[in-house]
Amino acid sequence: MHYQTEAWGSYMPTRSTTMGDPLERIERMASENAVVIFSMSTCCMCHAIKRLFCGMGVNPTVYELDEDPRGKDMEKALMRLLGSSSAVPVVFIGGKLVGAMDRVMASHINGTLVPLLKEAGALWL
Amino acid sequence: MASHRVGETGLSDSGPSNHHVPYSLFHGINAPSTSFINQEGSAFDFGELEEAIVLQGVKIRNDEAKAPLFTGRPAATLEMFPSWPTRFQTTPRVGSSKSGGESTDSGSAVNTLSSKADQAQLEPESPISKKASSSDHQAFDQKHLKLQQQQIHQEMATGPSHNQSSVKAPQEKRKGAGSTSEKQLDAKTLRRLAQNREAARKSRLRKKAYVQQLESSRIKLTQLEQDLQRARAQGLFLGGCVGAGSNLSPGAAIFDMEYARWLEDDHRLMSELRTGLHAHLSDGDLRLIIDGYVSHYDEIFQLKVVAAKSDVFHLYTGMWITPAERCFMWIGGFRPSELIKMLIGQLDPLTEQQVIGIYNLQHTSTQAEEALSQGLEQLQQALVDTIAGVPIVDGMQQMAVALSKLANLEGFVRQADNLRQQTLHQLRRILTVRQAARCFLVIGEYYGRLRALSSLWASRPRESMMSEDNSCQTTTELQIVQQHSQNHFSSY
Repeated sequence: MHYQTEAWGSYMPTRSTTMGDPLERIERMASENAVVIFSMSTCCMCHAIKRLFCGMGVNPTVYELDEDPRGKDMEKALMRLLGSSSAVPVVFIGGKLVGAMDRVMASHINGTLVPLLKEAGALWL
Repeated sequence: MASHRVGETGLSDSGPSNHHVPYSLFHGINAPSTSFINQEGSAFDFGELEEAIVLQGVKIRNDEAKAPLFTGRPAATLEMFPSWPTRFQTTPRVGSSKSGGESTDSGSAVNTLSSKADQAQLEPESPISKKASSSDHQAFDQKHLKLQQQQIHQEMATGPSHNQSSVKAPQEKRKGAGSTSEKQLDAKTLRRLAQNREAARKSRLRKKAYVQQLESSRIKLTQLEQDLQRARAQGLFLGGCVGAGSNLSPGAAIFDMEYARWLEDDHRLMSELRTGLHAHLSDGDLRLIIDGYVSHYDEIFQLKVVAAKSDVFHLYTGMWITPAERCFMWIGGFRPSELIKMLIGQLDPLTEQQVIGIYNLQHTSTQAEEALSQGLEQLQQALVDTIAGVPIVDGMQQMAVALSKLANLEGFVRQADNLRQQTLHQLRRILTVRQAARCFLVIGEYYGRLRALSSLWASRPRESMMSEDNSCQTTTELQIVQQHSQNHFSSY
């Protein structure tokens, strides 16, 4: 699991990072890695979802929104995207939105999560 | 003397006053003059019948002819001497008092009693036809018919020997009566008659008592049912009020009530499933039942979502389930991997594919459980840190932070329920229709037994407490349980 901090701004020289549409940023960030989790450091459910992926042997990329200057906007964008009152945790696999904790667990139980991970290259077992 | 008018007028109509005596004797002997009609014909049993026949011929003259009339058995009368005209003007009185009523009524009834007694004895069929022909009133006639038949049954039932002896006796007596109006009853016959009378009376009393008992029990039962329904409807509000005494919030009280109803539905659906399985229904039909059962489970999970919003502690501490279930509880419900483990041995035969699927399910559910448990651990740790820490500005801010952290508990209970629901759905997907039916039956029975275990356990310590009798406990274990239960009785 590796955490992205403010340094990622330098990865996007061609784009205006300060006034970017939060949703676009989210999508961009999500497509950079196989498994991307948007989280908050104080959120316990985020901790649970992290432990789930680590337990499966996956190395997810985690963005802590409360440590991001534009975290608030992204939080709102995620809330709109999910249609729920809690923005985090949210999981993207292979750049595609999987969902919050309930969707992730449901897909794990019904056996669709592992193939998705394998497809995205996050699992090699 | 209105009460005696009956006999008098009736008898005077028919002529000979000797009719008086037997009926008074009847009545005097059979003191509880309950309604003949009510007693459905068995009141006029063989003992009295025989007596009527015998005594008819005796013609004991007695001033007690004036005694209150025998009104209990108007319809089962026979005319002893068919030459005398029979009369039944109107329907016989039904259990009314001795006085009053229509005089001719009872009179004719009185008349017919004797003739009936006689004729039924000798010619079971003829009285009926005789009655039919000479009857003036249909209602009375029908009554007669019915009672005649009952009487005949009575006679048939009493046994051949009895019949024979009794047939002989009146025949003898009859012959005698035809020739002379006076008769001597030997002591043996008298005693037999008395005994029969007594037996008849006793059986009547017994039957009456039994019927009364039945009636009162029936009333009690309907009252209990009504109470139960009322209690069920309001019970949980009462339970909520009582529960408010024991800290049941309204949300918790409502959920408990809904859960109780869900359990009833569960029981019903399970028997449906069981009969469907044993009746070898088609797969299509069975699938419908199973899908219904899965929806039934979805229902409780939905109810729990609502309950978690209003009172998450009620769910999380397991106060909605029995103590034995609580032992195995994981975040407000059953642990999915435990359920799979329990089921593995009971689902045979499974295809290889299915076995792999089941083991995968066990594996993934274990992983999910681990993740949720660790997330919950972090929550608990954060709470402890918040509450234990030194208050920054004032205690209220600390409490506010703690409250916001505690709110996350609802999310964990919801996710745990989600995991349980997904596990059940996946089971349904892996198994065939018949396997799924058996599987859900196993699950239902398992939790049913766990609940039963809980109530058995709960009742045992209480009994030993109530009895306060150490000698009834045979093992030291039980004595220890007794002591413990005395300490913990309040928790029940």
